[in-house]
Amino acid sequence: MRTAVAAGEARPLRMGGSVTRSLVVLGGGAVLLMALVIAAVGVGSADVSVGDTAAILAHRLLGLPLPQTWPATAETIIFDIRLPRVLTAMLVGGGLAMAGTVFQALLRNPLADPYVIGTAAGASFGAALGIAAPLVLPALAIGAGSSLLGLGVVQLLAFGGGLGTVLVVYAVARSAGRVQVITLLLTGYAVSSVLAAMVALLMFMSGRALGAIFGWLMGSLANASWPALAFATPLLLASFVLLLARWRRINLLLLGDAQAASLGTDVEREKLVLTLLATLATSAAVAVSGTIGFVGLVVPHLLRLLIGPDHRLLLPASLLAGAGLLVLADLGARLVPGGGIPVGVVTALIGAPFFLWLLRRSRLARVELSA
Amino acid sequence: MGSRLRVLFFSSLLAALAVACAAPPGISPSATLPSPSLAATPSTPPETSYPVTLTDDAGRSVTLDGEPRRIISLAPSNTEIACALDACGELAGVPDYKVGYPNDVLAAIKDLPVVVSFGPVDREAIVAARPDLILAAGNELTPSTDITALADLGYPVLVLYPESLDEVSADIELVGAALNAQAEAAQVTSDMADRVAAVETAVAGMDQPRTFYEVSIFEGTIYTAGEDSFLASLIETAGGAPITGDAKTTAISLEDLVTADPQLILLGDAAYDSTITAKSVGKRQGWSGMAAVKDDRVLPLPEDILITRPGPRIVDGLEALARAIHPEAFE
Amino acid sequence: MTTAVATPLASLRDVQFSYARHGREPLDVLRGVDLELQAGELVALLGANGSGKTTLLRLLSGALHAGAGAVMVAGRPVGEWPRLALAQRVAVLPQHMELPEGFRVAELVAMGRAPHARRLFGSTAEDELAVERALRDANAVDLADRYPHELSGGERQRVLVAMALAQEPQLLLLDEPTLHLDLAHQVSLLQRLRRLHAQRGLTVLAVLHDVNLAAAFAPRVVLLDGGRVAADGAPDDVLTPEALAQVFGVRMEAVTTESGARSLILSLD
Repeated sequence: MRTAVAAGEARPLRMGGSVTRSLVVLGGGAVLLMALVIAAVGVGSADVSVGDTAAILAHRLLGLPLPQTWPATAETIIFDIRLPRVLTAMLVGGGLAMAGTVFQALLRNPLADPYVIGTAAGASFGAALGIAAPLVLPALAIGAGSSLLGLGVVQLLAFGGGLGTVLVVYAVARSAGRVQVITLLLTGYAVSSVLAAMVALLMFMSGRALGAIFGWLMGSLANASWPALAFATPLLLASFVLLLARWRRINLLLLGDAQAASLGTDVEREKLVLTLLATLATSAAVAVSGTIGFVGLVVPHLLRLLIGPDHRLLLPASLLAGAGLLVLADLGARLVPGGGIPVGVVTALIGAPFFLWLLRRSRLARVELSA
Repeated sequence: MGSRLRVLFFSSLLAALAVACAAPPGISPSATLPSPSLAATPSTPPETSYPVTLTDDAGRSVTLDGEPRRIISLAPSNTEIACALDACGELAGVPDYKVGYPNDVLAAIKDLPVVVSFGPVDREAIVAARPDLILAAGNELTPSTDITALADLGYPVLVLYPESLDEVSADIELVGAALNAQAEAAQVTSDMADRVAAVETAVAGMDQPRTFYEVSIFEGTIYTAGEDSFLASLIETAGGAPITGDAKTTAISLEDLVTADPQLILLGDAAYDSTITAKSVGKRQGWSGMAAVKDDRVLPLPEDILITRPGPRIVDGLEALARAIHPEAFE
Repeated sequence: MTTAVATPLASLRDVQFSYARHGREPLDVLRGVDLELQAGELVALLGANGSGKTTLLRLLSGALHAGAGAVMVAGRPVGEWPRLALAQRVAVLPQHMELPEGFRVAELVAMGRAPHARRLFGSTAEDELAVERALRDANAVDLADRYPHELSGGERQRVLVAMALAQEPQLLLLDEPTLHLDLAHQVSLLQRLRRLHAQRGLTVLAVLHDVNLAAAFAPRVVLLDGGRVAADGAPDDVLTPEALAQVFGVRMEAVTTESGARSLILSLD
């Protein structure tokens, strides 16, 4: 970036070049993701040949009038079971990673995840209520089996619980019209603890539904469906677009509230908008897949170490990486024989050691720098 | 991350408890569902005419278009029911659990695709097996989300969840109706009824000892037959007076157990854990004062599988229970 | 340049400000401040700790709202300016600022262009030119590719100045910019500010704590005491030993050096 400056003249910096390079990298990432998605649709616990997979996708997605050479079961497997599941994995993974990126910036804490201010606890509480309440009080079994907007009672309660809890936390943390980051974190912690205890109580009272609640807490894509996808997709896509556009303001927040304000940011409003958008994405994700962990923490953290904290690149990169990671993790989860395991188990198994490695590496790096 | 870990921490303790008492799929010794209604079992015509609409134990109306030739079983008890009705050859998918089957059933199913291990089913494997009838388990042993999803994909799913001997027979007849095997079903259920009657006769008039059936014990929580549960009714039929736990959680506190003072302790969990013996029970803190321990009437029960699997061999389990409770009646 | 009828670039009229405190009486900081800044002025602001200097700057930047009185910038009350528009005109160099890790200096300086940003994802040629100029004017060109943790105190200050300059403001507010700097860097910074003020026509209001430096560099000095403007004018007129004794509580002597420069030195007995 060193520019030879003629006396009194200013030559423009070559910053445009980095934008082009970023676009190339992101474009390549998107192509890779698409390839991964297609590959993931082609693999599963049942065998469907590559040719059949391609033909079915071409026929159903592109509308090509191909003669039906594939068995009907293959079409059911590809189109009704695998495709919605892989697409859900993509959107949920991207949403969680992006929300995690936003929260890490907003809370100025690289260990934040999308659940930290209460989304997980609230959504878990809603889901546990939906699962256990009709068993404890059969009168509450109204609506069991019915669905609204493509979601069942449990999922709607999870969505509402996640979103509602964050709104409550935000309102409680606000004083004199301002929300301080530390207050937000602590309030989120306190409210989450209360809700976690209530979830534990519901689990204890739930009897046979205990497994269902616990499975929900681990996070699983096993119940992905086209209707659920139809619910989650507009919410997730909208939050993706709106958050991507706010990259500059997110960068400014990293300078601190005072400086961001003097650079023209309406800091309180920005915090609220970012919280809402990220929580919307997280709640939509959690509603369809339970509380999958580590994606929203490790992906942004890792990418920040690799490509830096500039959100112009970090946000879309997190989106793509989170999507790809969850598609891969779910593939692993699906392939465990006998019905598979919850994808949350896989992300925890990969995520935890990976995270420890990251911590160690960045701690060492910091030690070197300060030497 | 902290909030999630906390939720998981709180709940994993409880989950461990629940997992311990949910080990083999079978009877969950709690009664929470309303009793099933069995509707369209035709009593006289031995042939089922298709299409036929049946009502399963979850109250669901299920229509079969033709005689099923490829059956998926999602619970070992359902596998045994199908085999008892001579439909072993029509099985196309079974659960992972391969313990406790009679040899002929084991031989028939050992090469079949596994479609569920514990918890959610493998939907792809089920679809790939092209079933025309799926026999699921109730009470969330087959998750209701899977039942709904499979039904939405167009498969007829019969949910079976019997909570008494009569209901087991009713379920066998239901499956018989579904498989056009009503004659076989009638035969099986009549045999079962005869044997039950024989047990009842043998133990009639005898003193009913206070019987405690240990389903499992984990981290200090004792699980037994829940109040009004299937297991409790079996013990009663076998001539015992069951000491029961909470209707929902099936747990009983040690204090309540000591107060109830069992005269006979049957160790169902000894069938899976060889460290559980009459001696080890006697050494447990607070157990030595019970009448059963003092009179040395603590019996391991290897037939626990039979007692907790609500299929055609439930009567074998009943007989094992009766022999344990009233050995003198069966010399 | 300073005709009384021209609208001042910034002004405070009878401004009062108190900080609210939990469970205690509010802390009165400004008790009626009158101050006018004409476009193109270079003004030093001095006063004891707690006299309200930082508060005054924050009122001018719109970060705080006056309890009473009027704060005007470019002809409008500061509260009526849309944030972005105000940020295009006023830049602040705060006393403390955390520079986030991972950004190169050039990228940090580019953040100063935020109020002017027009493209959603890229930057205009104008932006890039402004950043280049800002780096040059702040003498930070050689720092462009470095990272914050690699910078010394003096280098950080240069970067902060560059960030403020990238905003291309009309009014530059500096809160103790010479803090943490050794004497050489203090002098060099103030010299640069003077040059910028001349070249760009920047209006500068700088809070300084060194009386002599203030006198040397600023044509106009404002002395705050007890929440009010105690004195306002040329350094020689404002920075008298009597005024300084009253404001700072220390005795100083005015001394004229051989070269004719006037200096104030501490008089300790």
